[in-house]
Amino acid sequence: MSSITVFSAKKIITMNPARPHATHVAVREGKVIATGTIEEIKGWGDFTLDGSFADKVIMPGFIEGHSHLMAGVIWNYCYTGYQDRIDPDGKPWPGVKTLDDVQARLKEAEAKLGPDEPLVAWGFDPIFLMDRRLDKNDLDMVSATRPIVVIHSNFHLMTANSTALRLANYVGDMDIDGIAIGPDGTPSGELQEMAAMFPIMRRLGISLRDLGKKKQSIVDFGKVCNRVGVTTATDLINDLPDEDVTEMTNVTNNDDYPIRLMSLLNALSQPADETRDRALELRGKSTEKLRLGSVKIVTDGSIQGFTARLRWPFHYNGAPNGIWNIAPEQLNSLVATLHEAGIQMHIHTNGDEAIEAALDALEQAKAKQNRPDLLHVLQHCQMADRAQFRKMSRLGVAANLFSNHIYYFGDKHYELTIGPDRALRMDACQSAIDYGVTFTIHSDAPVTPMAPLFTAWCAVNRLTESGRRLGEYERITVAEALEAITLGAAATLQMDHEVGSIEVGKWADFAVLEDDPETIGAENLKDVRVWGTVLAGKTHKIP
Amino acid sequence: MKTREKPLPMTVLSGFLGAGKTTLVNHLLRHAGGRKIMVLVNDFGELPIDEDLIASREGDILTLANGCACCSMGGDLFEAFSTALDFTPPPDHLLIEASGVAEPKRIANFARAEPDLVLNGIVTVVDALNFEEIRADRRLAEILETQIHTAHLLLINKCDLIDMSEIERLATKIRDINTAAPILNITNGVVAADIFFGMDMQMNSNEAADMHNHGHSHESDFSRWSFETHAPIDRSVLREILEALPPTVLRFKGIFKGGDEAGLWIVHKVGPYVDFAALPTAREFSGKTGFVAIGLSNSNLAEIMDEAFGSLR
Repeated sequence: MSSITVFSAKKIITMNPARPHATHVAVREGKVIATGTIEEIKGWGDFTLDGSFADKVIMPGFIEGHSHLMAGVIWNYCYTGYQDRIDPDGKPWPGVKTLDDVQARLKEAEAKLGPDEPLVAWGFDPIFLMDRRLDKNDLDMVSATRPIVVIHSNFHLMTANSTALRLANYVGDMDIDGIAIGPDGTPSGELQEMAAMFPIMRRLGISLRDLGKKKQSIVDFGKVCNRVGVTTATDLINDLPDEDVTEMTNVTNNDDYPIRLMSLLNALSQPADETRDRALELRGKSTEKLRLGSVKIVTDGSIQGFTARLRWPFHYNGAPNGIWNIAPEQLNSLVATLHEAGIQMHIHTNGDEAIEAALDALEQAKAKQNRPDLLHVLQHCQMADRAQFRKMSRLGVAANLFSNHIYYFGDKHYELTIGPDRALRMDACQSAIDYGVTFTIHSDAPVTPMAPLFTAWCAVNRLTESGRRLGEYERITVAEALEAITLGAAATLQMDHEVGSIEVGKWADFAVLEDDPETIGAENLKDVRVWGTVLAGKTHKIP
Repeated sequence: MKTREKPLPMTVLSGFLGAGKTTLVNHLLRHAGGRKIMVLVNDFGELPIDEDLIASREGDILTLANGCACCSMGGDLFEAFSTALDFTPPPDHLLIEASGVAEPKRIANFARAEPDLVLNGIVTVVDALNFEEIRADRRLAEILETQIHTAHLLLINKCDLIDMSEIERLATKIRDINTAAPILNITNGVVAADIFFGMDMQMNSNEAADMHNHGHSHESDFSRWSFETHAPIDRSVLREILEALPPTVLRFKGIFKGGDEAGLWIVHKVGPYVDFAALPTAREFSGKTGFVAIGLSNSNLAEIMDEAFGSLR
């Protein structure tokens, strides 16, 4: 019989209501064999006591239910965001607060490049540098010869210097949507949306997709997760060709790889029956650390990009309604095909009209054949009203709410995109609880930084960047938020029998914390320090 | 990345689900007339190419016996445009079959911004049978109208399935949404390749020969017009003339000497969309300069064009 290791801790928060707290957890074969006191545990036989967490707090490893592999490898580019961030290797990057800071950061990065390399930066957010827009002249001062592009934090905009603009022949006013024109009548350097960005990215060889396919991207993603206590994370959309699956399998199988990775097949990359067949095939390739077989369907766009599909009365500022990536009629038939085959669907829906279309499709499929074995999930689900939560409850559909939006974009939603009424009820965790809807909360990293305790802080406090309280009613308690980032997330991944709580028979996947999230105070939840994680009994200290 | 000698013309084919885009694409591929057409399908259905046209399949790319090719965009426009621009052998024409819910202008913008592409127009197919039904669906009305509003050429398909009076009523409603684009009534997705892709007038002497005669060739429903001139012309003057042409003039193309600017210019017009570009100077142009147009045969094309260009004669 293999040996038992017992970890002692200042406190173990188990998320198992029958035994919510413990001082010790015993692990055998990578799984929890017991929790409780030493007296209770020793009945299982000989053990080795590991006291390294004696002054720490252990929780179930956090689970990020909506993120992307890109969150790690994007750090290959120079960070120019407003917020302080830490890269996957632990290097702190102070936020850039002024245009002078941006230039200084870029000059520093420029000095390290070879003669023919372009300078690429990411994370820039003009919302926070309000005095004026970043333009080509600012970047020309960094270099007049080397192409420079600064990708904005939403990935839908970039600013290029004159050298980069010339590559695509952007020298005069061509009256093209997305190529902003400056006061002198020539392109200002700001490029909006992929059509305008493509010619420059193509000529500089910048492909975010290729970047995400590299082995380093999987490795770096693991580091990002480890730093914030995450032991299971999702790569929420991927075309998953065989060669990428092989690479993911090899990397995740390594004992040093600190997370279980769930990667979702893009259901809009091939016809419905091919998606079905491929998802079933991928399911068979799952391992203990790589989970495959679920699919992602993207229905609408984003609220901040004015591309979400809204119901009446539409956008607060009068902007036109957003876009469909799939027609509601096609969605009905795709959902029916996948549901019937027993494939779990994660459906991207930001606007309330997209949520309505997804729920209608699920309702039709379920009315035909219920399949209670499947839990489908509405991803983002930001604008759902209470009637829609009641419908989710009736249909047995889960929600993954984008709580980080409250902080990062809440002011914009209140003032500009959807207006006060709907902003105050967005990402409605309390409504999910009221109607018994299984739910979790997420970061969508790298769109916003991955850090489940920060996401929990957002759901508990609902404070925007400017300090506005975005809806008192939808705040939830610390205990509810902690459950959302562990068991709630596990349930949305249909993994709650394996992970999400510290109880007998589940994987010994832990987040190891320096502070106690139950006592630090709701307003300080985001400041809880993470020591590292444990995955299947093996410790992964943050390097 | 490959560099091209001259930009690749790109046409966006838009239209709601079931409007007949796929039938139209297959018709065009059957009547490619020597053009190497590359079709990019921006949807997640089966690649909609008739089996008998397909010569081989490699991964996501179908190759046709006549040199055309077809591949799925897989939801990633960036990747798809890179593939098309780097494709060997280089295609003569890029045809994007937009998804039923796509905003064609967003896709067309790629061709306007990318120096290696040139926009040859947005063509929207309208389903004569279910236009009203889709327009009544509040979730879809906006995109249907956007597809019509941003089109440079509108095709009402399935005209054999409804009465002429109904077609006229439908055309009036469409005209309210788009006041400038030509509207053609078609059946079974049949439209002449010259209308869809524009006339072949490549930049060398051999192919310029087909505009040699100043005359009108009548073929079923369409008339052609051409006009040879060596006189220098100001772009602004030409633009004014072109913008005043009625929607019965379907397509217009030409090569001319610039007025105050040195060098040769190429111009094309489809519906309300006019595009000028400097002719690449890498090669000597030895062909004839002048203009060609194609229009509805019942519209007195020759009179309209001769009058419009009277001042330049």
